[in-house]
Amino acid sequence: MQLPEFEYLRPKTLAEGLAALAEHGPDATIMSGGSDLLINMKFRLDTPKYLVSFNAVQEMKAIEPQADGGLSLGAGCTLTQLAESEVLAEKYPALHQALFSVGSKHVRNAATLGGNICLDTRCWYTNQSENWRETRDGCFKTDNELCHVIKSADKCHAINSSDSAPVLIVLDASVTLASVNGTRDVPVSEFYNNDGVDHTVMRQGEILVGVTLPPPKGRSVYAKLAQRDGLDFASGTFAAGIVGSNEKPESVCLVMGSVGPEPKVLADSAAIIKASGLNEESIETAALAARASLGEVTNLFTPSGYKRRLVKALVKDALGELRDLQV
Amino acid sequence: MAKQIITLTVNGDEHEIAVAPYQTLLEVLRDDLALTGTKRGCTAGSCGVCTVNGEKGEAVLSCCALAVEWDGRSLTTVEGVQEGNDLHPVQQKFLEYGAVQCGFCTPGLIMSAKALLDVNTSPSEKDINEAMAGAICRCTGHIKVKIAIREAAKVLREREGGVADGQA
Repeated sequence: MQLPEFEYLRPKTLAEGLAALAEHGPDATIMSGGSDLLINMKFRLDTPKYLVSFNAVQEMKAIEPQADGGLSLGAGCTLTQLAESEVLAEKYPALHQALFSVGSKHVRNAATLGGNICLDTRCWYTNQSENWRETRDGCFKTDNELCHVIKSADKCHAINSSDSAPVLIVLDASVTLASVNGTRDVPVSEFYNNDGVDHTVMRQGEILVGVTLPPPKGRSVYAKLAQRDGLDFASGTFAAGIVGSNEKPESVCLVMGSVGPEPKVLADSAAIIKASGLNEESIETAALAARASLGEVTNLFTPSGYKRRLVKALVKDALGELRDLQV
Repeated sequence: MAKQIITLTVNGDEHEIAVAPYQTLLEVLRDDLALTGTKRGCTAGSCGVCTVNGEKGEAVLSCCALAVEWDGRSLTTVEGVQEGNDLHPVQQKFLEYGAVQCGFCTPGLIMSAKALLDVNTSPSEKDINEAMAGAICRCTGHIKVKIAIREAAKVLREREGGVADGQA
């Protein structure tokens, strides 16, 4: 497969890049590592007139410990750079694990944190070659008012496969978005929309420049299931965080990924753990509640029945791990 | 779409090439520089046969990299791995242990293994699995590949001055 034609812009500073985004508006697409975008472009899912590469913008590549004990990560950091960061591994092991689980070493050498957070949603019917797609009508994601997955749907159900998103929500992280009009901080928990087409709150001309992690609190774990460990997008991911003891938790946050267009916060399951503590019985109840709270499970990449069982198993295993985790 | 002149150092040789922005590194290596050792496989970042090594020896998927992004940089392809007239230990051990069947994936496997051994000459089983997960052989399986990598690691450790410590 070959790439479509485009004009290539390579700003050297963030200001220069933001000006390019403002100038070209909807004709511009942001590129960082390109490990996902270039493939989507080969599939003709994205055919930008201008490709704005932020790879030369050094100010987006820093890992900076903050005065309050938190950590700030530049969106342009490669996943290999983050996987090799001792401070990240030590203070935020669950995030470190999530980033390390992305793709293969080859992919992580190119892929960036910003790219993983903004990762486009994926669907079995859409993420295929142009010829493959032409054998049926288009969909919400391409050029039609139709979803092949859920026929009665009024919006796109493509899956958000970002490995970092669920754990960033558990860690109470926020992202900084910049445009020529200034910057704004958005908690990751409010960053995604439940719509596969317009799946983040980012506006035209904005770019995600960095992530701020507050000082680590309590314990957290990350779990992922994929067809092959080394390479595939996840069939399901789960991040869990607990502050306080297993017996009397002060707060509990549970988030499921790769089950819909946005990471799913499992409020019911978290309430069960918060009320009865983290023990064998509550884990079983919480895992069942997680399965029940999924609602409409789209049958993308894996059958929906499989996904329901997967969610229960993943939640159960990860909560068991969280219970036994020493701070 | 205007082409732009880039300077690309491949296997120590500096090239000035006019490339279009939408040309991948793989296309430039194969079609402009006639370095066809690097293979074109899935072209979608899944198979790893197009792997080359970047400036720090890291594994790079050349099918998912824009050539223009490599202006002023250097890389190594499978053609640049051998040491004078001798094969690199990774190549030699692939040969000795029959880690090759049809051979199409071999350049990608060699470059992926070299990326690992350049920074770690005592890789654990897990290290090898992680480094090789993105490079796939569809005909012979990875057992002999892993044996060859461990044997190559042994040679490289001996070369570093120490005696093989028996880990591999």
